Amino acid sequence: MRIFENLNFDFLGKRKTFYMVSALLFLIGVLGIIVRGFHFGIDFQGGTEIVLQFEKPVSVAEMRGYVENIGLGNVELKTFGGETGILVRTELQQVPKAIYPQVLDNIEKEINKTYPGLPYQIVDSSATSVTFSFPNPDTTNALVDKLFESGFQTGKISEEPDNRQMVARVGIADWIKINLRDKMQDNPFQVLREEQVGPKIGKELKQDAVVAVLMSLLVILIYLGFRFKFIFAVGAVVALFHDVLITLGLYAALYDILPINLEIDLTVVAAFLTLVGYSINDTVIVFDRVRENLKIHKTKPLLEIMNMSINKTMSRTILTGGTTLITVFILLMLGGDVLRAFAFTLFFGIIIGTYSSIFVASALVLEYAQRSKKKFTF
Amino acid sequence: MKEFRFRLILILGAIALSLYLLWPTFQDYRNSKHTSEILSEKEKQIKEANPKISKDNLKDLLNIVEDSIKLADPSILENRQQRVKLGLDLQGGMRVVLEVNTAKLLEKIAKNPDDTFKKVLNDATAESNLSDESVVDIFGRIMNQRDIRISRYFGRITQDDDEILDKLKQDAEDAVARAMEIIRNRVDQYGVSEPSIQRQGTRRIIVELPGVAKEEEAKQLLQGTALLEFRLVKEPEFAYSVMERIDNVLAGKTLEDTTASDTTTAETASADTTLAENDTTQQQLSEEEFKKQHPFFAVVGLNTESGSADGYVLDKNKENVQRMLNRPDVQNAIPNNIEFLFSAKSFTTQDGQSFFTLYMVNKEPELTGGVITDAIATIDQMSSNWIVSMEMNGEGATQWARITGANVDKRIAIILDGVVFSAPVVRNKITGGRSQIEGMAGASEAKLLEIVLKAGALPAPVDIIEERTVGPSLGQDSINSGFMSALLGYIFVGAFMIFWYRKSGSIAALSLTFSVLFILGILAGFKATLTLPGIAGIILTIGMAVDANVLIFERIREELATGKTMKAAIDSGFAKAYSAIIDSNITTFFTGLILYQFGTGPIQGFALTLMIGIVASLFSALVIVRVMANMLVAKGVKLTIG
Repeated sequence: MRIFENLNFDFLGKRKTFYMVSALLFLIGVLGIIVRGFHFGIDFQGGTEIVLQFEKPVSVAEMRGYVENIGLGNVELKTFGGETGILVRTELQQVPKAIYPQVLDNIEKEINKTYPGLPYQIVDSSATSVTFSFPNPDTTNALVDKLFESGFQTGKISEEPDNRQMVARVGIADWIKINLRDKMQDNPFQVLREEQVGPKIGKELKQDAVVAVLMSLLVILIYLGFRFKFIFAVGAVVALFHDVLITLGLYAALYDILPINLEIDLTVVAAFLTLVGYSINDTVIVFDRVRENLKIHKTKPLLEIMNMSINKTMSRTILTGGTTLITVFILLMLGGDVLRAFAFTLFFGIIIGTYSSIFVASALVLEYAQRSKKKFTF
Repeated sequence: MKEFRFRLILILGAIALSLYLLWPTFQDYRNSKHTSEILSEKEKQIKEANPKISKDNLKDLLNIVEDSIKLADPSILENRQQRVKLGLDLQGGMRVVLEVNTAKLLEKIAKNPDDTFKKVLNDATAESNLSDESVVDIFGRIMNQRDIRISRYFGRITQDDDEILDKLKQDAEDAVARAMEIIRNRVDQYGVSEPSIQRQGTRRIIVELPGVAKEEEAKQLLQGTALLEFRLVKEPEFAYSVMERIDNVLAGKTLEDTTASDTTTAETASADTTLAENDTTQQQLSEEEFKKQHPFFAVVGLNTESGSADGYVLDKNKENVQRMLNRPDVQNAIPNNIEFLFSAKSFTTQDGQSFFTLYMVNKEPELTGGVITDAIATIDQMSSNWIVSMEMNGEGATQWARITGANVDKRIAIILDGVVFSAPVVRNKITGGRSQIEGMAGASEAKLLEIVLKAGALPAPVDIIEERTVGPSLGQDSINSGFMSALLGYIFVGAFMIFWYRKSGSIAALSLTFSVLFILGILAGFKATLTLPGIAGIILTIGMAVDANVLIFERIREELATGKTMKAAIDSGFAKAYSAIIDSNITTFFTGLILYQFGTGPIQGFALTLMIGIVASLFSALVIVRVMANMLVAKGVKLTIG
């Protein structure tokens, strides 16, 4: 099989048309980002997320009824996997002050149930924990175990044998689970996944992600500047910016429209960096041909040489793009919930990256050469 | 053929090495399948025999069966350790990031935390949530602004603020080390296989516990409190007699038999002056027979010259011995006021074997660590050896004087959460609460003991700032869908290459198999972890790996079009495609490297497979495909390229 063997298409002559296409995509992207904004996953936003697998099918509406009045405010609910899986998420990382008395009440009820009439004191209470003091070490140990079994995070304040203090912590996830276990006694669940990310970590990760993308662009700029001419490197990096921004725009524009969870989390950042890697791969292969042809045909105008190079590499571009798209598509279909957004990013990223290596990277180098009347020699 | 010899050897070597590295993974897969078959069979049997059995009892029984399977074949454990490791997202487990709560620590160590102090501390905590500055620095600044000297709460009056603040910062760092040691100690005992406990930055600890499904229980492991105890080590004669009894029970001998076998055992013990676990050269008994007659002494070595009855247990036998000791019949043979405890760390002998020490100690502690006020590792001026000095409060000092006075020349074990960190001999009665522990092998041992001694009295308050748990069923689903995707991707891409490039394409498809084999082999060889994004990386590599082949084949076609022979076209095709392949792959490799730097856990796994994938597929395309193409042409096979 062969395609495009004797392809001779004036790609760069039509570059003005493609500028329009890029500009349009860019505009849609930027508008999408401005109007709809990004939706960050809990990796970046911080918060608590639990995925529960019930024994019998459950509906989101039914679950909403259960979690709406446990004092956590806006709780997000989604199905996960099949009918029996539910994802519960909240931006909160700590039990809010308003329901603190409610939580405390639950703990005290449990204490009273185990040892009716037991005198105790609350010696310390903070945003995440309460410390109780009991009359003797044995009851303390028993209560630590008992409350622990009921889903509270309890522990002894010290391991000394005469310890009489118990610290009880209540995380958001625990609070949700305690309530659901109570309300859905006929339909028990197991925890598939539980994540809790503090706000500080989220902020740090966001910074790291931006730094990582910028770093990779910088490294590429340096390497290509060294291997080619500096303007080639600039063209390539501008093309990468173009790819990343348009794909990001797509993310913002399509959020909630596609049946894919298009939230930006760590895996998606990995997909973006992979996209950068793939797209640059494509650009380098065109540039490599241009470099080679510039050596062979010293007198031909750059436009012609570039067109020739793009045409010659076109079958490779389509083939590699094709095989990669096949595997990414399979991943999109079969990879499961965790990898879906990852595969989605790459799917569109590869298409846009292939397009940009021709119409953005090469065109930019050409524009520069024509304006500055420069000739490249390698 | 001669011209290919070197490269052929290289290729075959790479394939053989990959297969060798992957062999344990394959064996492990077979073993776990086998084990789970036996277990489900047993479960059925138990349920039939006793339909009302409780879940916990059933689990206990099955655990015993599983242990005995593992015990019977040590290669199961070896294979497990050498297989390709699966990340938390695939096998399920828990990842927690802990941060030492400096404010809580300050409150705990302050001399007189009055209301002013608490208020300043609260302000400092609130401010630190918004800035990158440390709580200690902010605390110092606020105190300064309010004209309060820090020595009011910490340190001595004569010290200036900066000096005290530096000390407090040191304390905060020490707390991280302490928390790490406490957690490591607990996790080791909890029996998590392949746990990872790392320090991140100055205040954070990352704990990864693969396969921990009961997340609540695991969370409790991570709390920063620990129990430090001082317990008496039993006298050698007594300890030895108990060990002998255990040995007999394990060998299935009744108590009447013991007198007859006494002589042999005693002799064995004295023969075992070296640490070799079953040095029976001076015995008439063969190794096999010795193992049979003395199952306990076969794995627990003694050193009679040392004048103690500490047992020495090879690293790999530790779990085994623990299981022996937990057997109900063995437990019956041990007096109920004593127990066996292992040392926390192993030591390595000159011949490279590493041993844990097994101590027999009283169950009741003489004293617990709450009385310790300070401990510090220093170099002794006189002997210039490392020592640890320890101070106790008034109440502790009184008791300590009594305990040491009554036990001169005996040993007292320092035990943290059930494992022994040191068992020094009491030289004389210690009054005044100041003790010195000598005989440290080096700075690290001394420092560790300092941390351990402080752990009992000074908790290291930690907060969980990030937590991720993946249940085992989700992990299994991910493995299945990842495997399916990889297989399908491979079939599609391979079929596509054959369709497009005919015979050359089938060479490329074959080399794709090798690429995947190399990726997995390198992962196993580097002891790297395979994560779900890592599997995605392999799938992506399958798609991208053909890129180099495509570039080369397209070039060969171009060269053929200029009228060259196949052999010449192959050579110049490879030569001309070379620069494009290298340049493009190096840039991709760089992004992989950055991703590895940036990412954590699963993402790092992805970056790693991506990078390994690039190397593996380049090797396949530039070496394997080339040699195969050249060989086919040299043999006169008509190579088609579509």
